Amino acid sequence: MISPIHIITLTLGTAFFIGLLKKLNLNISALLMLVAIAAAGTISASWFTAILSGAANAEVFTAGFNPPYSINLLMGKGEALITLLINLAGFLGGVYLLKSLKERGIYTMIIYLVFIMSLNVIVMTRDIFNLFVFMEVASIGIAGLVILDKSSKATQAGFKYLIATGVIAGILLIGIAFTYYFAGTLNIDVIQQASIINFKAGSIAVFLVIISIILELKPFPANGWGIDVYEGANPGIGAMISAASASAMLFVLYKLAVLVPESFLQIITAIGILTFVGSNLMGIKQSNANRLLGYSSIGQIGLLTAIVGLKPFLGAQFELIAVSILISHFFAKAGLFWLSGIVKKQNLKDWAMLRQKPYLLVLFGIFIFALIGFPPFPSFLGKWELIMKLAHSHHFYILAFILIGSFLEGIYLFRWLGFSIKMEDANLPPLTVHWNKIIPVVLSALGVLGSGIYFGTITEIAASLKYIPLLFIALLYVIDFLPVYVKNTVSIAGIGYYLYTIYPDLEGFKLIFGLIFLAGGMLTLVAGYFKTGTRKGFYPLVMLMFAGLVGLIEAHTTFEFFFAWELMTAGSYFLIIRGKKSMTHALSYMLFSLAGAYLILAGFGLAHIGQSSYALDILASVQSFAPLVFILLAIGFMTKTASVGLHIWLPGAHAEAETDVSPMVSAILLKAGVFGLILLMLNMGSQFIGSFNIYYALAWIGAITAVMGNMMAAFQEDAKRLLAYSSVGFLGYILFGLSFMSHLGWLAAVSLSVVHFMFKTLLFLAIGGIVYRVKTKEMYKMGGLIKKMPFTFISVLMGIIVIAGVPPLTGFGGKWILYNAVLEKGWFFPSALVFFAGIVAFLYCFRLIHTVFLGQLKDEHREVKEAPFWLLLPQYMILMVIMLFSALPNSLLKPIGAMLAPIFPEGALEWQGQLAKSGFGYWNGQVIMYIVGGIFVVVFAWLWYMNRNAQKVKQFNIGYSAERPSLPETTHFAYNFFAPYKKALGFLVSPLITNFWDSASEGVHAISDKVRRIYNGNVQTYAFHILAFIVVVYLIIF
Amino acid sequence: MDFGFKHILYALLTVFIVLNYGLILQGIVRKIGARVGRRYGIRWYQPYIDIIKNYAKRSTITHGVMFYIAPVFRLTGGIGLLLFMPVIFGSEIFSNFSFAGDLVLVLYFQFFGVLGMALGAAEGGHPYSAIGVSRGLSQVTAFELPLTLGVLAIAMQYQTLNITEIVAAQQGGFLSWTLFTNPFATIAIMFSFLGAMGRSPFDVVLAPQEIPIGPPTEFHSGLLGVLQLNRAIFPAAKLILFMNLLFGGATSWPELVVKTFLIYMWSVFVGTVFPRFRVDQSVRWFLVVPLTIAIIAIILIRF
Repeated sequence: MISPIHIITLTLGTAFFIGLLKKLNLNISALLMLVAIAAAGTISASWFTAILSGAANAEVFTAGFNPPYSINLLMGKGEALITLLINLAGFLGGVYLLKSLKERGIYTMIIYLVFIMSLNVIVMTRDIFNLFVFMEVASIGIAGLVILDKSSKATQAGFKYLIATGVIAGILLIGIAFTYYFAGTLNIDVIQQASIINFKAGSIAVFLVIISIILELKPFPANGWGIDVYEGANPGIGAMISAASASAMLFVLYKLAVLVPESFLQIITAIGILTFVGSNLMGIKQSNANRLLGYSSIGQIGLLTAIVGLKPFLGAQFELIAVSILISHFFAKAGLFWLSGIVKKQNLKDWAMLRQKPYLLVLFGIFIFALIGFPPFPSFLGKWELIMKLAHSHHFYILAFILIGSFLEGIYLFRWLGFSIKMEDANLPPLTVHWNKIIPVVLSALGVLGSGIYFGTITEIAASLKYIPLLFIALLYVIDFLPVYVKNTVSIAGIGYYLYTIYPDLEGFKLIFGLIFLAGGMLTLVAGYFKTGTRKGFYPLVMLMFAGLVGLIEAHTTFEFFFAWELMTAGSYFLIIRGKKSMTHALSYMLFSLAGAYLILAGFGLAHIGQSSYALDILASVQSFAPLVFILLAIGFMTKTASVGLHIWLPGAHAEAETDVSPMVSAILLKAGVFGLILLMLNMGSQFIGSFNIYYALAWIGAITAVMGNMMAAFQEDAKRLLAYSSVGFLGYILFGLSFMSHLGWLAAVSLSVVHFMFKTLLFLAIGGIVYRVKTKEMYKMGGLIKKMPFTFISVLMGIIVIAGVPPLTGFGGKWILYNAVLEKGWFFPSALVFFAGIVAFLYCFRLIHTVFLGQLKDEHREVKEAPFWLLLPQYMILMVIMLFSALPNSLLKPIGAMLAPIFPEGALEWQGQLAKSGFGYWNGQVIMYIVGGIFVVVFAWLWYMNRNAQKVKQFNIGYSAERPSLPETTHFAYNFFAPYKKALGFLVSPLITNFWDSASEGVHAISDKVRRIYNGNVQTYAFHILAFIVVVYLIIF
Repeated sequence: MDFGFKHILYALLTVFIVLNYGLILQGIVRKIGARVGRRYGIRWYQPYIDIIKNYAKRSTITHGVMFYIAPVFRLTGGIGLLLFMPVIFGSEIFSNFSFAGDLVLVLYFQFFGVLGMALGAAEGGHPYSAIGVSRGLSQVTAFELPLTLGVLAIAMQYQTLNITEIVAAQQGGFLSWTLFTNPFATIAIMFSFLGAMGRSPFDVVLAPQEIPIGPPTEFHSGLLGVLQLNRAIFPAAKLILFMNLLFGGATSWPELVVKTFLIYMWSVFVGTVFPRFRVDQSVRWFLVVPLTIAIIAIILIRF
């Protein structure tokens, strides 16, 4: 093994050597610089692997004496890892900065080398004065690198940096001096043994040391200088500060944390959390890319600071948590800063430029998802473990603040991602990418992906995860250049094969929802054949969503469930944002999903208190806060079922999605929430707060959702929005049924889930086909299409009859069961609302079919063709199933009933053939079908006999006040179809909830805007902030 | 229940009787309305003449398939509604197809014809038809809410959704009718009944003055004839439903005639006295007065 001291000798030596070379050859100098850093990195890496495989830590005594008489360096696991990261960042950053380093000459390279070297020493040294010296070297290095950029902003930033770190260094020095005075040594290990914290003066000395280190980490709110540096510096330098320098300082904090008592640690945690939340809050209002990255960096470092403070509570998982979050931050932030240098545009909206090179967009997405903590990135695991441990140790406030901070971070990061995917990019300059700038970014992305997978393999809890679906997704990325029909076939075959392999293991709810997810997925994919071209990037995302969905079905532990939930969210987000006008809708989908996911995470965390296993059935034996766990999880799942209050993301997201994506996200994706609720209710059973039954509240939420969704649907002009709101309403019925916790209630809910899947797929495909042909979604611009698209008409007709729940089709079964369930349960008022909603559904059903298909055909649609065959095919496949379920209702209801029987033995339906009997009434779907069919045929025959000679007339041949109308537009009654109804009841759907969320969002932005005013750019103010921060913390501690 | 050929014959008999009763009732009511308005009015058998005249028309036009089968939907809805109910209590012959489903079926089957008709009317392309449908559906949603609550109250009271059992529970003197055992539910339902009958003040759907006869605007000759048949059967079927639910049902045809005639007269009386509501007015009215009463009915049943 090479001694760690050579990290220093190599880098320092090279720095001197290239100084000698002067301007002989800049290329050789640059190469030498990179080789030196690479060699240093190799030394770190070799130590890291050696220590991981059991080698002892290395200690270096510089002057030949033992401490406290010499400066000693330690190379342990942590040091090896952090120096490895620093040297890696140094190397990649060097490659990235190659051009500008060469432009600015040899001295910049020397500064760069010395900077990297000093960071290495900061990490390894065990001597606090030595630490101080190299911190100064690093500071000067950074300031030098920042100032060397020839812009006034950079100069200012460098100056502020010098002043601020100067103030901090002063404090640190005082602290070190007193520590030396009290402890008689500068060596950390010896100071620790000296236990100077037992008396006040000693602990003040340690306090001054620690607080300086914390200030170096740019804690909120004493961090204005740091933000300005991030904004002003070259992004390449920003990457170094954020990734390398911050990692080093964080390690110093970790190293020195052994010196302080537990009360200090609490303060460190509090500062970290405050920084995490405060910084992310201010990021929300930010529109400058580098400054935003600065906020995000400081936030992440704040989180890591808090983790250092929480070390005593995190136990054996501390390393995993800290390292996984650090590594995600490290790669993602470096990558993002580097990307920012490539884009060269500071306005976030200009990042739409990335679309010119799609692989840059992919990289950008990887970094954003890694930062937020989505699987399979390491921070996902880290956050999971962190939340579990915090819940275990009853740190509920910290848990809540961490989730809030993460959510705030999600707001601006996903908005930014949305800009880059969807923002108008017509007037942006072309993007040029140099090899030396892109390689580091690609390597960072690979690094964060690879480390995520590595962490997955070494962590016990993640060992059971199935990566086969993810491999399949990777395969689809590889064959992304092939035409649609190939990829579509591969996708369908893949899902089919997977369904075939897992089918024998599915039973009960898992079978039903597995079929909805997978068979439903295959069915909706069939429609994809109507697309031509390659449809780049579509199939991997679809499969990502389905992989998540199937993961929910297969999950045995809360961790697997959450993993799958996040995969599904990520996949569906990208599917939704593919729509033409989907930017804002995808963002609101993502934010609701994110908030929901965090609630679920918190719920799982609380459920895990006092449990040793992560199995899903721990929910059945929650030790403490059971009602709270239930509420958290239920609200989390209800963000997906779009229950009232949490529904505002849905209409836009579903309506703006592509033709065949709408059914996926509407008919299939929403069922994930239903499945979650079912799992939750099955395991946790009835829940009361005092004597109040939470399920009664759920029943009301379901009922109000149903009325609100259906009424909103009736007032829409956009056909797809109408269908989207109709989904909201229908999911309300399902929630209502589930809340009954009775056999019939669940029978209704589960069968309605199946039925909703069928008719919503049918309708979205049918309407999608129309929109595809007539190029508009506004219903009043259509009309009379029955003659042009008769097959589509039939499927819409069947679809709306099912929605309306009118006998004889299968929708009526659901209504009948609900009636019986209500009579059994007795919750009449919410029930009355549900039945009211059922009738309100007639309004939008009729509007949908009338304004689109009936009435007057528009002139511009006279040449419109029937919808493409591939869109019709799945519709008619579904129609056949609907007719089967309608004629033989027990083919659907009996198996579901049998499945429910062990759970709810009381109140099951009694079947005699097709006759269903409940405690209150009876219903024979088959006989009804025959009778209605019989009467219909007889009456029709009679009419036909009387009127067989009826003459078909042209469009305007109507009795119109003895006139012949000339324009379809003036004759087609379609716009604002239910105007009087709106006049009477429109107040019920005044957008209170949308307004609520709008003002919540505005409020957060306003707070963010106010808070960030403390950063006035004046360096004196910043220096004052630093001192005030010390004073305040001092007053809190002492 | 085994289903035999005789059931079809029984059904035909029921339809025949009710059809004639409905036509005569229609004629008589129109006559009464005219007399109240100091006019002489039509002959009581005028509805028969109208039907014959319509079928005899030689020119028939159609606007398309849906337009053509709309009256079929409508009449199927009317006949079906009638046949899914026990018409005469205790009579196997006139219980028809009530074994197929209970009260919920009947409540929802009402809409089968309404919606089918709405579709066909809309295909006619006449704006008046669509306006009529818009108004009609709006009004339906409003009066369904008190009706639903009332029906739930009744079903709770008798612990069944089986219409035959509901009627059976009301036997033994008029004091055991729902009218007296559950007056609030009865009032709520009878208010909803006004909406369901579509007479003034809730006749804005057909509105002969501004949107001449609403949805059926474009229908004529045989198509209108089928609708007219339904106009006889459908109200009669609804009358029988409300009679079964609230007024003890009927054990014989004369009893049925008397009871349904009186129930019908309730809507005729209100219609002759009160002028027409606008849609928004009627929607609000249903969701205030009858709904409040229905809520009281539920509270009384529950507590």
